[in-house]
Amino acid sequence: MTKRTYRNASVAALVLLFLLLSPLQDKIDLQRKQMGFEQRLLLMPGQIAGSLALGGFKGLAADLLWLQVEELFHSGQSHKMLPILRSVTFLQPKFITPWAVGGWHLSYNISVMAKDPNEKEAWIQAGVDFLKEGITYNPERYDLYFELGWTFYHKVKNYAEAVKYLELACKFPGPDYLPNVLAHAYEKNGQIDTAIETWREILRSGNSFGHLSPRHIHNLKTYGSTITPETPKKK
Amino acid sequence: MVKAIVIAKNTFQESLRLRSYQIILVFALLLLGSSQLFSFLTPAEQLKMIKDVSLSGIEFFGMLLAIFASMTALRSEFETNTISTLFSKPLKRSDFILGKFLGMAMVITLSIIMMSVVFIGLILLKQRSFEISLFSALFLIWAEMLVIVAITLAVAAFASTAFTLIFVLFLFLVGHLTGYGLSMAERMKNPVMHVVARFFYKIIPNFENFAIRDQVVVGGTVPISYLLKTFGYGIIYAAIALIICLYFFRYREV
Repeated sequence: MTKRTYRNASVAALVLLFLLLSPLQDKIDLQRKQMGFEQRLLLMPGQIAGSLALGGFKGLAADLLWLQVEELFHSGQSHKMLPILRSVTFLQPKFITPWAVGGWHLSYNISVMAKDPNEKEAWIQAGVDFLKEGITYNPERYDLYFELGWTFYHKVKNYAEAVKYLELACKFPGPDYLPNVLAHAYEKNGQIDTAIETWREILRSGNSFGHLSPRHIHNLKTYGSTITPETPKKK
Repeated sequence: MVKAIVIAKNTFQESLRLRSYQIILVFALLLLGSSQLFSFLTPAEQLKMIKDVSLSGIEFFGMLLAIFASMTALRSEFETNTISTLFSKPLKRSDFILGKFLGMAMVITLSIIMMSVVFIGLILLKQRSFEISLFSALFLIWAEMLVIVAITLAVAAFASTAFTLIFVLFLFLVGHLTGYGLSMAERMKNPVMHVVARFFYKIIPNFENFAIRDQVVVGGTVPISYLLKTFGYGIIYAAIALIICLYFFRYREV
């Protein structure tokens, strides 16, 4: 084979292979998009984390930032950890813990530090919004639905919203306490019959909280509440 | 083909004797062991950190190994002039290159298996079970390393050691950023830039295709169809690199 023929054959083979590669890359891109694996533009603090992310080591960068969040939290610098938390969620949106912990910090720890009621409410709302954003990246897991439902139930005291998100949480595999909390949310929302039915279902399904069902069903039927006049008050 | 297998076997044995290979392997094992240091975190966080550090370590050290060992396997033949002796015998250049690639593929496979055994051991120690999806991440890291081996051989066939090292490391970084580059170019209003960006996006190896560990460590699963497509992408890219390697090597004075 002459040099020229060999060169032409090599170029033809390369062109053919690149032509094969192009639609394959399109298919991979599409599937990555469907799986939520798309690359996102990075704007984040910390040069170390940035350079690691540039090398394709986003998970490692997220871990380093997460360690920093832990350190700031334990030293009481809650406000400083917010932008870092945001960076972690940006790098690894499917890492549940930063969403859950971030939502909790905003709605609980940071909001109680605010003296102005409007500011307090704004922080609680920021926590709710943070959790809602986390759900958009993790819609097929119970965790963030539960966190949001719990925030509405316990902090915001918006029981209708609590029921909505706790019902969503119960649609996915999760721990035994999910239907338990949902039953209490139904009760607080005035849906006593649904609460009784939920406690019955807890008993039927062999849930580890099933032993509470007979007492709660009895109290709900008798007093319309699981809290009875005999229930000891919290100090 | 028989001659290529003989070359592959020889390359494999030679690479195992390389000191740089052993040092990198020790570093990798140390790194995997050091991931035990996250004991102050909650068990779930600790496990996630171990998975992240270990998988990133396997990829990083695997990449260094693939570059150094492949470069040395080819360049040392020129530097010690053993290549002249080899080609004084009836040996085709294509068999030589194929043999070098297969030999390096064996080296990479062995090193990734060794690092994976340590990784699996760590996970089993922590949670008494090992998710199948983690094998997907290890499989694609292995496929990515095969592409890097082929690219390193292609560059080492015509360039100096220093150039090969810098070029392949640079390509590894760029290959993880092509997606960002494309999305930034698509924000520009200039349509010519879109075409140019898309062209380079298709030409430059997209190593981000192989990066699934960030999703896998947080419990995500990857369908087999994705693994097959990406493996196919890797095979085609390795073939491209080997054709380029053979083209430059064929007309090289030995």
